[in-house]
This record gives sequence, C-alpha cells and structure tokens, in this order.
Amino acid sequence: MLLKGDEREMKVEAVHKPAAAKLRLAKKKVKGTNDNNLAGYIFISPWLLGFLLLTAWPIIQSFYLSFTEYSLLEAPTWTGTDNYANIFSSDNDFKTSLKVTFLFVLFSVPLKLFFSLMVAMLLNKSLKGMNLYRTAIYFPSLIGGSIAVSALWRNMFNLNGYFNHVLAWFGIEGVGWITNPHTSLGTLILLNTWQFGSTMVIFLAGLKQIPNELYESASVDGASKVRKFFHITLPMLSPVMFFNLVLGIIGSFQMFTSAFIITQGGPINSTYMYALFLYDKAFKHYQMGYASALAWILLVIVALMTAINFLVSRYWVFYETDGGKQK
Amino acid sequence: MKQTVYKGLTLLMLSAMLALTACGSGGSNKGESNAPGDNGDSNAPVKLKIMWQGADIRHQAMLKTQEVYTSKNPSVTFSPEYMAWDDYWKKLPTLAASHSLPDVLHMDGAYIQEYATRGTLEDLSDIDLTGVIDEKTLENLKIGGKLYGIPISRNAQGMAFNKEALEAAGIELPKKDWTWDEYFDFARNARAKLPDGVYPISDTDTWDFYQYYQMSFGKGSIIQEEGKKFNLDKELFMKFYGIHAEFREKKIVPPADMVSSFKENDPQADPMASGKVMTRGATVGSVGALEQLMPGKIDVVNLPVGPEGGGWAQPTIFLSVSTDAKHKDAAKAFIKWFVTDKAAGETYGTNFGIPIYDEIYTALEPTLAPKEKLGKKLYDTSIDKAMPFSPAAAGWTEWIDNYKKTMDAVMFGQKSIEEAYNEISKSGNAIAEKSGK
Repeated sequence: MLLKGDEREMKVEAVHKPAAAKLRLAKKKVKGTNDNNLAGYIFISPWLLGFLLLTAWPIIQSFYLSFTEYSLLEAPTWTGTDNYANIFSSDNDFKTSLKVTFLFVLFSVPLKLFFSLMVAMLLNKSLKGMNLYRTAIYFPSLIGGSIAVSALWRNMFNLNGYFNHVLAWFGIEGVGWITNPHTSLGTLILLNTWQFGSTMVIFLAGLKQIPNELYESASVDGASKVRKFFHITLPMLSPVMFFNLVLGIIGSFQMFTSAFIITQGGPINSTYMYALFLYDKAFKHYQMGYASALAWILLVIVALMTAINFLVSRYWVFYETDGGKQK
Repeated sequence: MKQTVYKGLTLLMLSAMLALTACGSGGSNKGESNAPGDNGDSNAPVKLKIMWQGADIRHQAMLKTQEVYTSKNPSVTFSPEYMAWDDYWKKLPTLAASHSLPDVLHMDGAYIQEYATRGTLEDLSDIDLTGVIDEKTLENLKIGGKLYGIPISRNAQGMAFNKEALEAAGIELPKKDWTWDEYFDFARNARAKLPDGVYPISDTDTWDFYQYYQMSFGKGSIIQEEGKKFNLDKELFMKFYGIHAEFREKKIVPPADMVSSFKENDPQADPMASGKVMTRGATVGSVGALEQLMPGKIDVVNLPVGPEGGGWAQPTIFLSVSTDAKHKDAAKAFIKWFVTDKAAGETYGTNFGIPIYDEIYTALEPTLAPKEKLGKKLYDTSIDKAMPFSPAAAGWTEWIDNYKKTMDAVMFGQKSIEEAYNEISKSGNAIAEKSGK
C-alpha cells in the first residue's frame, strides 16, 4: 500500500508542486519510520509485485469468475450462485471426486507419515557410511512427483507391466493394477507413500533435535526401547509430526499429476481426484466459472480441515517451551 | 524457539499452498495483432508454428514435407510440435484457452465443430481450390457457411484384422459388407478356434462405435440438429450391449481391465499389435501406423453393415489456421501448397489418408508399396456402403466422457445396461435442452 502511495506522490509532484509540498509536509511527521519502511518495500518489491499480479489478482479474479459462466473464449456472463447451486444439488462427479479424494487423503497421509518416520528413525542411527544411505534413500525424491515418475509407474503397474512380470515368476497372475477399479486407487496411494523423501527429511531433522540426555536418563531408569519411543520420541517429535500432517493433508487434497498421467481418473472414476475433476471442467469442458467455484469449495474444505487440525493439535502436540505440558 | 519456528513454518507453507489452490485463471487478452512482416511482404522471414497428431510414421512424413516447403520458400521456416492423438486433444484446449494456438494446426472432423464455434479458427473460404477439391465437398464441410479447415485427404472408417493369425487358426476371414450378425457370429466361431488369452474382437465403451450400429439400422445419429436433439434408440442399445455382456461372460471379448489398458499404436499396448485381439477399428489415415507395427500381417474390411450401410467415408482430416496465428497469410499459403502441390503429396504420401487432390494421388499410386495401398483398399471397400460422418456437436465433450465412464461401469459389472441407458439419455437430453435455448 505504501509503495502505491509513494508512487502517487511522485506523479503528483511532477504536475502539481504545491499540493505535493503539502503532502510532503503531512508526511514529515512520521518521517523517521516511513523512510525505513520505504526501503524495505522497495527491496521486496519484486516479490510483492509477483505476489500481487500473479497470485493475489488471479485469486480475486477466480472468486469473481466462480459466479459466472465463462468458456474462456467468450466473455464471462454473471449467473449469481448458479454454479454453487448446481455443484451441490445435481453434480454426481462432484460427489464422486470428493469421495475419492477423501479416501485418498485418509489412507495416503497416515501411511506416508508412518513410513517416513520409520525410515527417518533408521537413518538416524549412527552407522558407518550413513550419509551414503541417506543420500541414496532421499535421491528418488529429487525426481519426486514428476511426470517421469508417473509415467514409470504407469508402465510398472499396467497389465503388461514389470510388476506383473515379477509376480508371474512366482506363478501369480496379476491384474491390471491401474486399469482395475478395485486396485487403481490403492496403486496411487502406494505411489504417494513411496514419495516420502521430503517428509522423511523433516522427521530426520526433528529426531536430531531431541536431546540425547532424555534417552540416557530413561535408560538409567530402565525404560525399554518401545517405551522410549512412545514416551520420548513421539512427544518430542509431535510439532514436526503436526507440521508434516498439515502439509500432507493439503498436498493430498490437491493430488493431480499421478492421477492425470497414470489413470486419467479412470477406470470408472475410481481415481477421479478433485483436482482432476476441476481440471476437466476448466480445460476440457470449457467451464471456467464452474471450475473456479470448485476451486473455492476446495479452498474452504482444506481450510476447514486445517482448522480442525490446529484445534485438535492442542491435545497431542507438545512444545518444549511449554515445559512439556499440554496446552 | 522450536515452537515459533514450526508454527511459523506451518503457517507460511499453509498460506502459500492455499493461495495456489484457488488460482483459477488469469485474464484473457484477445485480439493479438498480427506481427509485422505479415503485411504482404513475402520475403520477410517467417517462422510458422505448426502442430499435428498421429503416429511416428506420420510425424516423419510431415517433417520432411516442411523441409521441402522451406527449400522452395527459404523465407518460411517451421517450428513444429507433434504428438499422439490423446495427448494432442489434451493439449489443444489449454493452448486455445491461453490464446497461443499455433499458426497451422491439424483438425479432425470429430473436433472441428467445437473449435470453430468457439471462435478459435479462421475462415479459410478465400483460399482458391477450384479444380482441386470439388465445390460440393467443400460446401458439405462448411460450418455456419464458413470453411474452418481445408480437407487434406479422403478418409474412411473400417476395420483391420490379423490376417496371418486368423488364417493360421483356420478361421474364415471377414468379408466386405459383412452384416452385424455376421460380425458377432465371426466372433463366436473364432472363440472356439483361438488359443486362450487371444480374443476375436474387443469390447467397446465409446459412443461412436455404438452409433455405427444404431445408424446402420436406420435409427439415425445420436446427436442431431447441431446438438439440439438427442436420439438414443433404447431397443438397439439394449441389444448391442446385451450381446457384448454375453461375450464378456463367454470370454469372446477381453476382460475389462485388459480393455482399459489398450492404447492404439503403442507396440506393447495396441490391442492388435500386442497379439491379444484379432480385429480393431482403423481409418484410411491411421492403418499405415498399424501395418508398420505388424508388417505384412494385416488386412482390412469395412465396418459391419446394416440396411442403411456401415461406417463412413469422407474427408475428416483438416489443416486449419488459428485466430491466434501471427502469420495468417503465410499459413494459408502453406496449406494451399500442401493440398495442391505434387512435390508435397509425394512427400507425405498416404499418411493422412488418400490425398484429396486426385492428381496427386494418381501420380502417387504407381510408386506405392503394397502396404501403403492398404489405406486405399480400406477406402474402396468402405465407400459404397458409407453413411454420413456424424461427429458430436460443440458442448458435448462432457457427455462423451460420461458415456465412456458409464459403459466402463457396465464393463466392470458395476451397472446394468438399463441403468447405463437411463443415465446416458438423461444427461444427453439435458445437454440437448440446454443447447436448444
């Protein structure tokens, strides 16, 4: 805002000197703080402009569009709340995709958290060449959620894929993992779980911050490994867990790439993720207004989920600074 | 410390991610002006953006054709982009939405209405094609009185079959003008003679294949009057899919998860090239790609016929100029050269079907390898029984998607045929009603 004010001031100065002088006088009162702020705003202006033009403006725009019918190629026409009414009253794909997405989140988030925590704990051991293991295990995550990995999985889990070839060695006849409605969603959940790299690294960093004295004193008191895990590791790690959980839920709600590349939502909508449904509406069926409404509904859902998470967090997330007490 | 760090980090990431979710689209800026150098100055260097779809064999031919054009018109070079059918129609809508369609683009009869009515294509009526394409053909292809694509070939829909394998198994080969009953009997008989895991025909879940059936019995096309009328014959629908349900049970068609994994022209996943199915649909313009995957093994026949005929035979492949084009005149000049010049025809051959300009094909014919004549054979067997090509109207893509999804559910045994009929007609009638307004 300040930046804008100053820009205006400069313009005014050029055409209308007395007025500009008055303005400057008015500003003098708060000069000390203002100058500092101005420099700050100028320094962050590239980011600020990017945010305003490329993020904030499209968000506002999409909110407006969600109340219109807009085919992208013709000007939008105002339809009021029709889009929202149609979505909630008569759109079966909306219900299906919401169900699929909730299922996906419900399974993939806990699985991913569990596996990344297990791997992080393994990598937290002091072994010779541990850095090598860490690199090797983290490496696949560098190519993480990319198109190439999705294409690879498509080949692996197709009816003629490598996975079924391996099964055939043991005399098991595989199914078309991604072309069978019973297994397709599970395959995508598995893929998501496998991409645990970044979650794992955050866990690992969290584990490293747990003071060793706690384990030592517990050992002196004769605590078992399991007990140490549940009474030291988990509580000490709970803020990190919370962080990963929130990000995991948001990321899973927006799952798109692998569903788009591997299954295209099929067979029979069994992997029709919300984001994919939104994409279809926007870019395949040219209903950008409808798609914008869908995006806002997703925003509300994700915000609600996150709010619930924050509320529930006070019962299970422990912060060291609170002296280990529940808030 | 820890508390603030993680809380802060969580909130920061949170706001960033939420912000991204809500991103709908940016504004659109229409009416980009033509680049300079397009104002009749024919010698200024021009780089034409061009896009098409197909199999690799077509890509190679198309690239060579552009080289020939550049060698004759050194000021024009190309920036080509090409991909397979599915990817092409996935990419085009996003380009159209961002007003960045290429100068010259490949259009298909199944999609041209949608793109033309949405104002993404230029009217090409002013390209003079007297003596090249007859007036009647062009008149038939006009949409709302305007010509949005120049047809480049004659095309036809028929079927390819694995001649070698069928003969080896002692199965009588499909004959021209076979009826639908003969088609289904062929499948039943072949089942007994083919090894396990090999199927005479494939299952079907797309609307166009059923439409051939409905039309051949004189019940007309499904989407009529530019999308304002919906016409799905219940009796024929129930019968057609009833037969396929029986076939699924008797393993005359492959199981549903195999059918979903088929991808045409992919060496491993093509229903025929993978050796799993003995027949599949093929067009004049695409049968060459299949022949390349299984050289010398295939032959062609027209689609099964009913009292009204079977399949279609007419131009369905077009070159269009987009309204986003920066070099419209150069694009038009290239298209004109493409359909009228013999050197061009010699280069792309029969890769788009039979070249529309008879003189090009006559010059081409003596030089064709036997396998290249397969397309011509397909055209010749289809032409006399051909019915009109009946694409979907603009605004029906969603219904087409739903049709496939609904029939997939039937294929996987999750819906009855009657339920599918009711759902498909309900959504069809709804769209027709909306288009009528």
